[in-house]
Amino acid sequence: MQIAFEQVSHIYGRGTPFEKRALDNVSLNIPSGSYVGIIGQTGSGKSTLIQHLNGLLKPTSGKIRVGEWTITPETKQTLELRKRVGLVFQYPEHQLFEETVLKDVAFGPRNLGLPEEMALLRAREALEVVGLAYEEWKDRSPFQLSGGQMRRVAIAGVLAMQPQILILDEPTAGLDPAGRREILEAIYRIHKEQKMTTLLVTHSMEEAARYADWLIVMAAGRIALSGTPAEVFAQADRLRQLSLDVPNTVALIHKLNERLPEEYKLPLHLYREEELEAYLLQRLSGVKEGTR
Amino acid sequence: MSVLQNFAIGQYLPGESLLHRLDPRSKLVFVFAFAFFVFMANNGPTYAILCVFMVIATIAARISVSYLLRGLKPVWFLILLTAVIHLFMTKGGAVYLQWDWVTVEEQGVRQAMFMSMRLALLVLIGSLLTLTTSPLDLTEGMERLLAPLRKLGVPVHEIALMLSIALRFIPTLLEETDKIIKAQTSRGANLDSGNLLTRARNLVAIVVPLFISAFRRADELALAMEARGYRGGAGRTRRKQLRFTWRDGLLAFVAVLLAGSLGWWRA
Repeated sequence: MQIAFEQVSHIYGRGTPFEKRALDNVSLNIPSGSYVGIIGQTGSGKSTLIQHLNGLLKPTSGKIRVGEWTITPETKQTLELRKRVGLVFQYPEHQLFEETVLKDVAFGPRNLGLPEEMALLRAREALEVVGLAYEEWKDRSPFQLSGGQMRRVAIAGVLAMQPQILILDEPTAGLDPAGRREILEAIYRIHKEQKMTTLLVTHSMEEAARYADWLIVMAAGRIALSGTPAEVFAQADRLRQLSLDVPNTVALIHKLNERLPEEYKLPLHLYREEELEAYLLQRLSGVKEGTR
Repeated sequence: MSVLQNFAIGQYLPGESLLHRLDPRSKLVFVFAFAFFVFMANNGPTYAILCVFMVIATIAARISVSYLLRGLKPVWFLILLTAVIHLFMTKGGAVYLQWDWVTVEEQGVRQAMFMSMRLALLVLIGSLLTLTTSPLDLTEGMERLLAPLRKLGVPVHEIALMLSIALRFIPTLLEETDKIIKAQTSRGANLDSGNLLTRARNLVAIVVPLFISAFRRADELALAMEARGYRGGAGRTRRKQLRFTWRDGLLAFVAVLLAGSLGWWRA
């Protein structure tokens, strides 16, 4: 489903001494089926932004279109929308509550009004997707699992609802590198397979570079930068101004380019590790043969 | 916080006003004394004095009246109920209205007005106290005031600590509740409608994670306190010392003035 924000602002605690403008006149367009990375410092408005997408928050002013739905400040009922937009919060393992893993994952589909069998089937599929073997895990208590496993169960709980838009708020926070990779790979796989519009909120440039085909950089409730990863990473100075960094790959390219003459400069679109590696190997083998 | 943003009790508004700078001990004693003053009042002039005092105190605290009045939100129903019951049940004096056996009489109107004012004043002075005193100052004030009870074996320090931790975690747990509600509504839990059974199940989906997180936080807090060498109240010193200033003298003077004028004007 396609997403569009039209001059959306959100103010928390309006009329109290704690008033805070979390979103300031944000407009954006996300085509159906894209993988968007949303980057920004803590407090830049990322979390507020994504909570508008399934109607948990309503804009103070402006309009949001998600597929055929429109959310305005007056919108009341958003239950149907929530069934189509899957939102995985930060530390989603804190929302587990059922006795068994299977029951917890089936909570979402059951709320969709699916018959019990169907809900359990979906839960089973979702567990396999996040890499938890069904027979082995289904009857365990979610509270006996490790942090990474709990995280996966929680993500499966959202996937089991088969949303058309999947939003993940820092799904890898607090996980070890292997756990991060596994979760992100699983998400990328379903994104590809089911053509799901995916939004990944992160402050890791590496993660954003690896998976996203469009980046939105937020700062102080506004969109500071947006574009393809190559376009965004080209503006390294602007990113540094926002206390953000470019991924290591791009930093390496910039460093090499400082030393290379104009005609041999590396292109900036090589921000994925494998691509840069392949490219560098190819160039280096060329050097060896004396042809550059 | 969307669901729970109307929770104003116990909220502290940082500031530099006269009321903020008063010693928490004197504020606490004054609030207790004020409760007695409120019960001394029994006629128009005395209630007027108390109301004027409330207005002056709010101005001195530099808190907007509308924000202070939000503190009445959780109790306004109680106030209304008290007023209505007095209106119909208290008899005496001239009869203003009459349907069959239901009458509204002079004493009833009087009592309804005074009782609801009494309740409102008590709640307002309480919110004024918490709005201008940080929870930490508040519990320290309480600990110091109750210190003599230690001789009787009352664990004053522990009580104060429990109180300050409880106060400290109210906003945290509210935030947590809000987050969990959002997470479960995102999973399609509908908390506003549905039959009793599904509603109960959805409530479980919120209460269980909330309890788990509360226990986890308690565990982490205990660990953090031990890691920093906390061993109970004995021999503990304070970085911030409480000191009485001229402001507290002023407050004592106001208290005497209030008590005197109430004593003079009350019927």
